[in-house]
Amino acid sequence: MKRFDLITPEGTRDLLFDDCLIRKSVETKIHKIFESRGYSEVVTPGLEFYDVFNLNSRYFPQENLYKLTDNKGRLLVVRPDSTMPIARLVSTRLKDAELPLRLFYNQSVYSPNKSLAGKSNEVVQTGIELIGTYSRKADLDVLSTAIEVLSSCDNDKFRIEIGDIGFFRELVNQLPSDDEVKEKIRKLIEAKNYPALNDLLDSIGENKVTNALKQLPRLFGGEEVFDKASSLFCDEKIEEILSNLKFIYTSLEKLGYNGKITVDLGIVNRTDYYTGVIMKGYIQGYGEEVLSGGRYDKLISEFGYDVPATGFAVNVDAISEMLKNSGVKPERNKTDIIVFSDEKNAMDALIYAQKLRNEGYTVEYSPFDTIEETKYYAQTNGNIKIIVYRGEDNE
Amino acid sequence: MNKPIRIALTKGRLEKDTVALFEKIGYDCTAVHEKGRKLILPVPDGNIEVVLAKAADVITYVEHGVCDMGIVGKDTIMEMSGKFFELVDLGFGKCRFALAGKKGDSFYSGYDVKTIASKYPNVTRSFFESKGMDVEIVKIEGSVELAPLLGLSDAIVDIVETGSTLKENGLEVFEDIAPVSARLIVNMVSMKLFQKDIEALISLIEKNI
Repeated sequence: MKRFDLITPEGTRDLLFDDCLIRKSVETKIHKIFESRGYSEVVTPGLEFYDVFNLNSRYFPQENLYKLTDNKGRLLVVRPDSTMPIARLVSTRLKDAELPLRLFYNQSVYSPNKSLAGKSNEVVQTGIELIGTYSRKADLDVLSTAIEVLSSCDNDKFRIEIGDIGFFRELVNQLPSDDEVKEKIRKLIEAKNYPALNDLLDSIGENKVTNALKQLPRLFGGEEVFDKASSLFCDEKIEEILSNLKFIYTSLEKLGYNGKITVDLGIVNRTDYYTGVIMKGYIQGYGEEVLSGGRYDKLISEFGYDVPATGFAVNVDAISEMLKNSGVKPERNKTDIIVFSDEKNAMDALIYAQKLRNEGYTVEYSPFDTIEETKYYAQTNGNIKIIVYRGEDNE
Repeated sequence: MNKPIRIALTKGRLEKDTVALFEKIGYDCTAVHEKGRKLILPVPDGNIEVVLAKAADVITYVEHGVCDMGIVGKDTIMEMSGKFFELVDLGFGKCRFALAGKKGDSFYSGYDVKTIASKYPNVTRSFFESKGMDVEIVKIEGSVELAPLLGLSDAIVDIVETGSTLKENGLEVFEDIAPVSARLIVNMVSMKLFQKDIEALISLIEKNI
């Protein structure tokens, strides 16, 4: 007996009409932005070898991957992310290409979420990767692209947040603790869990570093964050990181998005993967970030090609959902004419319908046997005009 | 006026403690006291909306961002996990997670795989994972103390407040697992979008606990 033939797997869904149109319009809008900045599209396979995602610099927990085996018994995964496959692609087929490379992608990524939490396991992401430059100008370029993307989708309610993973890393590396404790500290800062963070750092001892780490989750907001941060702790490296980030922050203000760009020095996710400036984007009404990215200078070298890179990914489904909830009604294409004929003129009527289409009309070809059925269909679908084709001298 | 901050409260004891906290801050909580069957209640002078929900739902609502903040026990946070900011330890609703079983049993002896009954299978699993110990976990919905008494399990993992229920049933705590208290959690996006309002409210709360 078949039990699952009428439903889709958990965390997936069918998209109908308006949903498709909204998603397509979001994709088109974002891709125009990417293309206008010189990015070219690449597509990577939905299936990859597990090894592509089994890296030192980025940890994908086993339980968050869809896995299968190929006919030689090798372990495959359904793509959980697009950046690793692109790193693989760059290190192989694009190894001799002129740098910098500007690539963009638009494809689904898959990751099984907690059951019954109302989250999608299949998400369409679009994003860019700017590969082959350490330049701060590249960071500015990518960030301003991110800002343009979100402002084009949601003019007044978006927020782009920048940070630098180096600030946390420099601080935590000055602690005598082992990696396990450092990871605990990272997790507590990420969750802004002040009480537990304070307890843990108190147990390590009171000094300038632990004091600065205690304040780290609170270091978010506007420009004042930089002064607060440098008053907490400063050595040469941290000074450099802060002044670089401040330069980026003040430069981006020139784009004119007052108050839409903020700083959070407490963004410390994926410390193993990001190496410099990082970003997150938010839209009011969606409970998670809709955009995230940053600089990852070490990743591609794991595939044997040592080049720096930066980029970001946008959750297209999230933005589409927000647009839909905010009442955006896409224009659906309407049929202008239905062409009906009797059996004898069937093929000629089809050719005639094509002639009308070439003139710019949207034309349906009636599959019904009688004009009555055709009329009924035309009426129930918004009074579409019917043309009865009777042969050569029709009109 | 800004959009009100929506706070999900865990129904029951934490709700009462939180309302007491709000009243100490000086908010008028009449609507919460006289709620009747209403589930969304305004606290006008704080520009707050209170939502009453079960503990696990508080986390779900906050994670999805339909509530900006939530007040929920650390026990539920440990069991559910999830992505949100856990900002303040409110200090009330104090108790602890503990491993308990029949008085006098030596739990860690012997080579057989132990069976553990719990309302909190994830907490139980990660506790024994950290010990590198294989156990069989049975999820129980009601009074977990029954399981070892009936012989279904060797021990239980549960929240213990005073330990009197355990004592009355001839059980005792073998080992403490983690302390529990009420926490203030905040949605990650709300924190950024309504930073001023949320920080103001948090500093009021911190002053009054």
